[in-house]
Amino acid sequence: MTDASVIGVLLSLILVAVAFAVSMRFRLKLESDLAIATVRAIVQLSVVALVITFVFDHELLAIGVVLLMLGAASWTSARRLKGIPRGPQLATLAIASGAIVGLVVVFGTGVFDLEPRFVIPIAGMLIGNCMTAVSVAGVRVKEELTDKTLEVEARLALGVRARDALTPYIRRATTTALIPIIDTTKTVGLITLPGAFTGMLLGGATPAQAARVQLIVLFMLLGAVAIAGMTTTLLVTRMFVGPGERIVIPTER
Amino acid sequence: MVNTASNHPIEIESVSLDRAGRPVLHEVSARFARGGVTAIVGPSGAGKTSLLRCINRLEEPDGGRVLLDGEDIRSLDPTELRKRVGMIFQTPVLFEGGVRANLAYGLDGVPDHEVASALESAGLSASFLERESPALSVGQAQRVCIARALVRSPEALILDEPTSALDLKATARIEELLVSLAHNGLTIIVVTHDLPQARRIATEALLLDEGRVVAAGTPDEVAANWPGGAA
Repeated sequence: MTDASVIGVLLSLILVAVAFAVSMRFRLKLESDLAIATVRAIVQLSVVALVITFVFDHELLAIGVVLLMLGAASWTSARRLKGIPRGPQLATLAIASGAIVGLVVVFGTGVFDLEPRFVIPIAGMLIGNCMTAVSVAGVRVKEELTDKTLEVEARLALGVRARDALTPYIRRATTTALIPIIDTTKTVGLITLPGAFTGMLLGGATPAQAARVQLIVLFMLLGAVAIAGMTTTLLVTRMFVGPGERIVIPTER
Repeated sequence: MVNTASNHPIEIESVSLDRAGRPVLHEVSARFARGGVTAIVGPSGAGKTSLLRCINRLEEPDGGRVLLDGEDIRSLDPTELRKRVGMIFQTPVLFEGGVRANLAYGLDGVPDHEVASALESAGLSASFLERESPALSVGQAQRVCIARALVRSPEALILDEPTSALDLKATARIEELLVSLAHNGLTIIVVTHDLPQARRIATEALLLDEGRVVAAGTPDEVAANWPGGAA
């Protein structure tokens, strides 16, 4: 097994410097985002490594960690949903809906043992992927409805119910949110070796064991992300529907 | 009380509308005649489009009421109201799919002959049914939009600057079409900033300025009251 040293981590920062250089060369204005992302990754993973050793032995603490993950993911997605009324609650509900279904299925069916060392990484994967889906679906449906208000109103003006008038935009936003996980599932093993598979191999598992676990993870994520994405688009579009089958663009706050 | 025999099927009573704390319409009252074209005219920002949108509840007034055949439109199912009062927008909006799919949008099992008949009423031959939307000129697209409203057998058509994106020839065709639809018994309400157009097609006109009714009468009578002098 590889022993990643602190020097190794420092050397890997060279690649962050490359990203900085690209941003500056093409004036992407991503330097501050890159700096924040890098510092946050270092701090967060260092703290997690310290905490997780302790948490693995305390079940109640594991629940706390999962809730903390949910809180951080909801906060991140809610920032993307800025301008949508009740964005934070909506993001929390959508992420939790996908993650809870995934957790219930994999632990309820006994695929993994209900122990902190399984619950925390599985919940992390679920919450992280659902967070991405919620952000993508939320931003996409918000943009669709804001940019295409005239088109939606043209549908409503024909005597179509708001839920039917909004269906094409809900479909497009949900599809966009699902594309990454579908493509990952389609190309698994061909283009990339995904996280669980790689992690297990690095940890000493056999390729067959790693493949089985990876399949479970991918199928679990597919379901969870579909639920999170669909929940997001349905909840966001509800915020755009006013009384009398009208579309109402929420004002930025 | 429902008054289905009225010659003025659409009535607006003291309608007020605020947007972000700013008054857009101030106690506007008006009546619109069946079988005629009424033009709502006025300078930009007068509240013409907002008033039109109140008639099919795309906008909800803060005060007053709108009546359709004597019935407060808030007591009607909005989807039924919008089938009875079709709306045409400034820019023609066609959805995915061809002309046939657009005409049948939102309708279950509408017979082909009804779709073709609506298209012909809008001045397009049935051959247009097979056309794809991007292949249409703006004028043809606007006619398809009118046909799409006509498939729903409306009692009234409300149009927001329907010719502003069209050339002179296409404008003349739409104007003829509106007059002919009015002759067939429809209540036609057209928002326009173009007073000469109001004179060409409208039997009555309503002049709005800063959200208030400044004048009502024939287009010529209304022209004399145009803000800043006769137009």
